[in-house]
Amino acid sequence: MANVNTIKQPNPQTSSTKSRLTWLWSEYSVIIAFLVIFMAAAVMNPRFLDINNQLNILMQVSIIGIVALGMTVVMLSGGIDLSVGSVLVFVGVISVLAMNATGSIFVAILTALVVGSFAGFLNGLMVAKGRIASFIATLGMMAAARSIALYIAEGGSISGEVSGFTVIANSNLWIFDFPVIIFFVMTALVYVLMHKTRFGRYVYALGSNEKAALLSGIRVDRVKIGIYSLVGLLVSVAAIIETSRLNSISSSSSGVQYELDAIAAVIIGGTRMTGGRGKIMGTFFGVLILGILNNMMNLMNVSPHLQGFVKGLIIIIAVVFQKRE
Amino acid sequence: MTTSPFLIMNNIEKAFNGVPVLKKVSLTVVEGEIHALLGENGAGKSTLMNILGGVHQPDHGSIQINGLDVRMSNPRVSQDQGISFIHQELNVVADLRVYENMFLGSELRSKLGFLKVEEMCRQTSEILAKLGVDINPKEYVRNLETSYKQLIEISKALLHKSKLIIMDEPTTSLAEHEVKRLFELMRNLKKSGVSIIYISHKLKEIKEICDTYTVLRDGELVGTGSIENENLDTITKLMVGKSISQERLVQKHSFGPVVLEVNDLSSQGLYKNITFTLRKGEILGFTGLAGDGRTELFESLFGYRKKYTGQIKINNQLVKIDHPRKALEAGLALVPKDRKENAIIKDLSVIHNMSLSSIGHFEKAGFIQEKKEKDRFHYYKERLNIKVHNPRITIDKLSGGNQQKVIIAKWLEVDTDIIIFDNPTQGIDVGAKHEIYQQIVSLAEQGKAVIILSSEAPEVQKVCHHIYVMYQGEITARLKGEQATEDEIMSYATGSKREAEKIG
Repeated sequence: MANVNTIKQPNPQTSSTKSRLTWLWSEYSVIIAFLVIFMAAAVMNPRFLDINNQLNILMQVSIIGIVALGMTVVMLSGGIDLSVGSVLVFVGVISVLAMNATGSIFVAILTALVVGSFAGFLNGLMVAKGRIASFIATLGMMAAARSIALYIAEGGSISGEVSGFTVIANSNLWIFDFPVIIFFVMTALVYVLMHKTRFGRYVYALGSNEKAALLSGIRVDRVKIGIYSLVGLLVSVAAIIETSRLNSISSSSSGVQYELDAIAAVIIGGTRMTGGRGKIMGTFFGVLILGILNNMMNLMNVSPHLQGFVKGLIIIIAVVFQKRE
Repeated sequence: MTTSPFLIMNNIEKAFNGVPVLKKVSLTVVEGEIHALLGENGAGKSTLMNILGGVHQPDHGSIQINGLDVRMSNPRVSQDQGISFIHQELNVVADLRVYENMFLGSELRSKLGFLKVEEMCRQTSEILAKLGVDINPKEYVRNLETSYKQLIEISKALLHKSKLIIMDEPTTSLAEHEVKRLFELMRNLKKSGVSIIYISHKLKEIKEICDTYTVLRDGELVGTGSIENENLDTITKLMVGKSISQERLVQKHSFGPVVLEVNDLSSQGLYKNITFTLRKGEILGFTGLAGDGRTELFESLFGYRKKYTGQIKINNQLVKIDHPRKALEAGLALVPKDRKENAIIKDLSVIHNMSLSSIGHFEKAGFIQEKKEKDRFHYYKERLNIKVHNPRITIDKLSGGNQQKVIIAKWLEVDTDIIIFDNPTQGIDVGAKHEIYQQIVSLAEQGKAVIILSSEAPEVQKVCHHIYVMYQGEITARLKGEQATEDEIMSYATGSKREAEKIG
C-alpha cells in the first residue's frame, strides 16, 4: 500500500527516485491496480473478505483464466484468437458425445484435447501458411465451430451419461476446488513455457519484430502454428471443466463472449495489443481483477445488465494507463 | 530565356545535435534552368532541400525568392512560394483516380459542398495535355506505370503553379523508355519557365539533361558551374574528394578453399546472371548505387526470397535454401541492413537478442539456462567491446554501434563459415565504424569467408580483397581491392563503364 501512496503523490523528488517509481509502475502496474481494487472492495463490502467468497471468485474465474492464458500467448505474438468461445462449445459437445458413446471419461478427455488442439492447428495453418489476418481467420473459425456445435446438438444441450464425469469440476483438494487448482497449474506451466523455453522466446521475438525473427533463422510459420494449437489445447482444458461442472454443455449459450472476457483480462494484464510485450503473471492478475469486479457488482446488487458497462470502462481505463508508459 | 535568379540560398548553415551538416552552403537557381545537385550519401543534399522545403530551419543564412527575403518557417510557406518537392518515394494514393490525386487536399467544390468532378477532370486533362500525355483522368493510379505516377506528381506541382520543382533521384525506379519520357517532359517545363533542381547519382543523365550543377561534400560547397564546360571525371572527383584516408585495413594473406560458389543466379526484375566465388579467409565487397539489386541478391542467397533461378554451392555441395533457417544450417549468416526493421528485436533484452539464433547452445533438457547465456554474453562483450552497463535492458536503449555489435555477436555465436554484412556501418558514428571493420577483418583472418555490401565505395576499398560493382542488377566489374580507385568504382556503378564491354 505504501507504494500506491507514494506514486499517487506528485511530489518533486530526485530524478532517480522518480525514474525508479516509473519503472516500478510500468513493471508492476497490474499488481498495484489489483491491490487497490482488492482494498477498495474490502472496504466497500465486508462480506468480500469472507474466505468462501474469495474461493468463489477463484472458482468463477478459473475457466476464463485458462482461456486467457492462451489468449496471452497469441496476443504476445501479435495475433488474436476470436474463436476460443465457439471452439470451447464445439469441444464440449464432441467430447460429451464421445464419452456417451464409449462410456469412458478418459476417452472424453482425450477427444477434447485432440479436437481442441486440431481446431487451433487449423487456425494456425490459416494464419501462418494462408497468410490470413488472425482476426479474420479466427472470426471464420468462431462462426463455423459454433454452427457445427449447434447443428450436432440441434440447438440445445447435451448431457453426460457417465457417472463420475462431474467429479472433475466439483471436487476439491483441501479448500481449493479442482478447477482452481487446474488454473494455477496451467498458469505455472504456461509461465515456464513462455519464460524458460525457446518457444516462449520465439513468441516474444516474432510479436516484436516478425521480419527480424525470420531473418534470425526462426521458423516463424511453425511457431505460429504452435501458438494457435496451444490456445486450442488450453481451450479444451477449459471445455472439460465447463462441461463437467454441470455435466452438460449448451450449444447455444455456453462459451458466449468468452473471447471478449479473455481479451479483456489480457489487456488489463498489460499485454500490448500489437505483441512483443506482456507477461503471463499480468494476465493472471488481470483475470483476478475481472473476477473481483464481477463479484463486487453481485454483492452490491448492481443490475447484471450494467455489469458489461463497468467492465468496458475498466478495459478502457487500463489501456489509457498503459499508453502513458 | 531570362537569366534572373529565381532562388538564392545564401551561406546556409545547419547543425544537428551539435554536428554541423551544412557549412556556409550557397545555391543559386536561375529561372528556367535545370540545376543538378550532386554529392555522395550524407553530403548534405537532403538537408539543404529540406531547408528549402521548410521542413528544417537553417541556423544561419538567408533564402531569397525573386530577390525578396523569405523565411521558410514551414512546408506551407514553401509551397506558397511556388516550390514543389517530388520525393524519391512517390506520394500518390494508388487506390484513388488520377484527378482525385491531383486535387487531393484542394478539391474543387460547389456551393453546396459537392465535388465538381467534371471541372476537376477538365483541368487535369488540360495539364496532362500540356505535358504531352494522354491519360484518362478517371483512371485509377494503381493501373499506371511508375513514370506516369511521377507525372501525376509533376502535374500536381503545375496545378499549384509551381515555379521550382525539386526532383530527388526520379529515375531510380524507371525503365529506359520512361526516363526518356521524363526528360522530354523536363525540357518542356524548362521552356515554360519552370526551374528544376535535379538530385541524382547518375552522372550520365546529368550530362544529358542539366544546365548547371552544384556539388556538396561533407556539408560544404565544393564546386558549382555550367555542365557544358565540365567533363564527368572532374565532377566525380569533386564529389568524392581526395582527402579521405585510403589506409587499407586488410592485409594480403593466403585464402583457403572455395566455400561459396554462385552460378548464374537471376531473379526477374531484381538481378541477373550473378556468378562469383568466395574463398575461406577472403573478404568480398559488393558495391553500387541504391537499387542496384545487391541486397535482394543476398536476401535470396539467405533464403528470405525464394523466386530465383541458378545454382548455389556451399563447400562444394549444391544447396537449396528456401528459409533463413536452412541458410544457417548450411553455414551462411546475414547481418542485414536497416538494423531497426530487420535485425533488432526491440522488446527483447540485449542478452536475448544475442542468443536468439542459437538458443540450442544454452538449453538443458529443453530449458534455457539464463546463467549460461549471460556468461556467453560477457565473452562477446569483451571481445567486441560492447558498451552496456546492464545487459538485461532492452536492446533499443543502446547506441547504433553497440546494437550492431550485439547483432554481430548473435551471428558469431551461430558460428557459420560465411558471414554477409549488408551495410554494416549504417547510422553508426566514425569510431564504432572503424571498430566494426577491424572486427570484420579479424574474422577473415581467423578463416571466415566474408561478404560486405555497401554503397560507400571508400569503405569496401578499405576492407575488401576483391570488389564487385553492380549496376541495375548486374555485376559490371570485378576489381582488386588494392588497385580499385573510387573514380573507377563510381563509373562502373553509374553505368558509364562496363567491364563486359571492355572484354567483349
